[in-house]
Amino acid sequence: MQNVLSILFCLSLFYLAVTPRVKAYVAVLRFQGILLTILLMLPFIEQFSIFAVILPATLFIIKVIVIPRYINKIILELDIKRTIEPTIQQFNFLLLVIFSFIIIFLAASILSQSTEIEIIPFASGFAAVAVGIFIIIFRKKLIIHVAGFLVLENGIFLFGTAVASELPIMIEIGVLLDVFVVVFLMGIALNRISSTFEGFDVTILRRLKD
Amino acid sequence: MDLLFYSLLLQLSSIAAIAFFTENKKASAAAHLLLAAGLITGFITTLTAVLTSNFILKDMNVFGISTSLFRFDALGLYFLCIIQLVAIPTTIYSYSYLKHYIEKGKSVKSNLVFYAVLLTSTQMVVVSNHAILFLICWEVMSTSAYLGMIFEKEKKDVQTGAFYYLVMSHAVVFLLYVFFFFLHNQTNSWLFSNFHLSPDAGKLFIILYALGLIAFGMKAGFMPFHFWLPRAHPIAPTVFSAFLSGIIIKMGIYGILRTFQFLNPTPEWLGWLVLSVSMISAIYGVWYALAQHDIKRLLAYHSVENIGIIGIGIGVGFIGSAYHSVPIQVLGFGGALLHTLNHAVFKSLLFVGSGVIYQNLGTRNIELMGGLVHYGKYFVVLFLIGSIAISGIPPFNGFISEFIIYNSFFTTAKELKNYYPLLMLISAVGLAFVGGLAVACFTKINSIMFLGKERKEVKHFNISFYEYLSLGIFALLCVAIGFYPQPFIVIVNKVLTEGFIPAASSFSLLNINWYLLSIIFISASVGIILIFLWKRSIQKKYGRRISSAWGCGYEGLNPRMQYTASSYADELNEISKTALVYHKKVDKQKEIFPLKGKFESHSEDLADNKILLPAFRNFSSFVSRIRFLSYTDIRYYIAFILIIITIYSLIAFLWK
Repeated sequence: MQNVLSILFCLSLFYLAVTPRVKAYVAVLRFQGILLTILLMLPFIEQFSIFAVILPATLFIIKVIVIPRYINKIILELDIKRTIEPTIQQFNFLLLVIFSFIIIFLAASILSQSTEIEIIPFASGFAAVAVGIFIIIFRKKLIIHVAGFLVLENGIFLFGTAVASELPIMIEIGVLLDVFVVVFLMGIALNRISSTFEGFDVTILRRLKD
Repeated sequence: MDLLFYSLLLQLSSIAAIAFFTENKKASAAAHLLLAAGLITGFITTLTAVLTSNFILKDMNVFGISTSLFRFDALGLYFLCIIQLVAIPTTIYSYSYLKHYIEKGKSVKSNLVFYAVLLTSTQMVVVSNHAILFLICWEVMSTSAYLGMIFEKEKKDVQTGAFYYLVMSHAVVFLLYVFFFFLHNQTNSWLFSNFHLSPDAGKLFIILYALGLIAFGMKAGFMPFHFWLPRAHPIAPTVFSAFLSGIIIKMGIYGILRTFQFLNPTPEWLGWLVLSVSMISAIYGVWYALAQHDIKRLLAYHSVENIGIIGIGIGVGFIGSAYHSVPIQVLGFGGALLHTLNHAVFKSLLFVGSGVIYQNLGTRNIELMGGLVHYGKYFVVLFLIGSIAISGIPPFNGFISEFIIYNSFFTTAKELKNYYPLLMLISAVGLAFVGGLAVACFTKINSIMFLGKERKEVKHFNISFYEYLSLGIFALLCVAIGFYPQPFIVIVNKVLTEGFIPAASSFSLLNINWYLLSIIFISASVGIILIFLWKRSIQKKYGRRISSAWGCGYEGLNPRMQYTASSYADELNEISKTALVYHKKVDKQKEIFPLKGKFESHSEDLADNKILLPAFRNFSSFVSRIRFLSYTDIRYYIAFILIIITIYSLIAFLWK
């Protein structure tokens, strides 16, 4: 089951790599949030406890409801264009993502020989981190940067479930809170920038140079 | 010994007093009163502890709690004594110094807080036994000194000078961290009382010595690392420069002596290294001083000289330690310890004196002073006492410690035979040379500043009671140590025998007949006074002819015809022109009746201007070359991060 969910997660990453629409990014984020929630619930199906529900519940509220809504609200309020403005061709980007997937899965299989990890969740988490960074590097739009950070964070989450013994749940909660705050601040920053500059490209931020 | 901590609390309570009074004047009075009271109690406690050998080496009770954070051993208490002794008159002077600023309407509260923190943290440094506590106190001491230094922060040279100091103290603290971590690693303890390593430790022993000597030597201002002294001292408020020169640089000496305590016996070559570095510091320190025009800068270079003299004593002590010879160690370290006290006293006296002059004339340039003897007769006498003492002329205190160091040379020559007599003779000549140059330097400033006619109009020259009191205490100490060294020698001897030098009881500093010295000094002084009285009576009988100073028989003398400080020192500066980076610019007129001429001379510091600054300039130009990587777009940075992470993971993969 865990592997199935992880593979679905990877597919969502591929979709991110080809879609040119901002809305699709938000939808993918929502989808990934649901996947992660189910993934976290899995171990607790057999033995139910109240505490075990807290993390999936917060995850669901923040990742599936609050953040996507917030991003949608920013898009509507600031009237952001609906395309993502890439800096390289979508096809090249897809190639890059596939290439990194291959390397990461190979690396994970080599790693699994020496340490005990579950290859597929581990590698897909890793891949999500890579894709998140790629999104940040190769997209101009600030709101897409926010999405990139969130994908990156999802990757860390998945990564965490794969090496649960080494990464305690408290840290995951901490990371969750961190990213939430980052998104929040970015939203505020976007609002501010919109009143100063026209447009939401990072290229414009060059003007902020001291 | 709880009383000592109460005295520290009393000093700290001055901060509360500063916060309590809103008015600057009242706050200053209350704070100085509390500080002085705390220091006096502390000094009495420390002195009684030293005199009654009441040392606590292990697990002491502080307010009923048993702790090993502090230790009252002989060396620490000796330095504590020096700190408190010097801090009392400095605090008295500080009151009258800050009064000038209060009258000008400048807020002095922050400065006072930093002064109080500086005093207490410095006292804590010498009694702490735990390495981390030591480092914390050390850092608080350095930082509060920096904050006090930037009192007149709107001036450009204040910013630069203070920055030099800040950089230096950070470098020192960094080295000290490494030093103490190594020691902790070797001994598994953080306590000074447990740190001990013998030369069997091999390379680590040398590394530790290098770290300790460079770090503490930088603080003390030995020659290659002296660059911060002439920059930081002139710009600091006089109170701080007096304390900096009197006490803070002595903390470097304290550190070096502690390093010796941790790591002994020393190898012989290290003794020679310290001796030669100190000799160079002493000679060039005084030579640079001779070329200065700024009185505080000049005094700062004299600090380098005197640190060099202390270092010579330590170097001789190291050589003694290498040969396990008790007399050499006792004389070498004894001379160093006593000179530490002496330098703290007379250098503070001179700095306070220069502060008084600066307050009244508004300039630190010696070339613009002159004829001050007509305004403050007693002040000139007090300043002269400090000048004689620092030059090492009998009968004042500078001579006593240098006498011990000379003695250590001769004892080394006698004990070790072989080629030592020749080397020690060279060292003795070197030290004598230093004394000679110091005399030249102080005759220069005393004659130019005090004698002759005023070069710049002196509007007022007032010296307040507190200034006289402060100067008077310092001068009294100079005279007392010079004329009656016995009790001070007893204390120094106690420090040496109580755990500093192993098996030190076989030789003592008291083997020298100090009473004889006292008798000679007193009789000589009485003789001089008698001759002076005789001269007075003759003058009364036959009258006295008075003509202008530097007049050489010429009648229509004006201030511009007087001998200047640079011309006084020129002959000596010419000798070592390259090392001093001594420039002269003479603008000669070719006509038969020249109208205007121009002369300029100044000296730059070799280590500062030819080594340090170019090195930094090269480094910064090198760093600016990799600025092509600096983009304004955040995406590039994330890409860089990704690349670096990939490289690291590849390395991790391949590294098996």
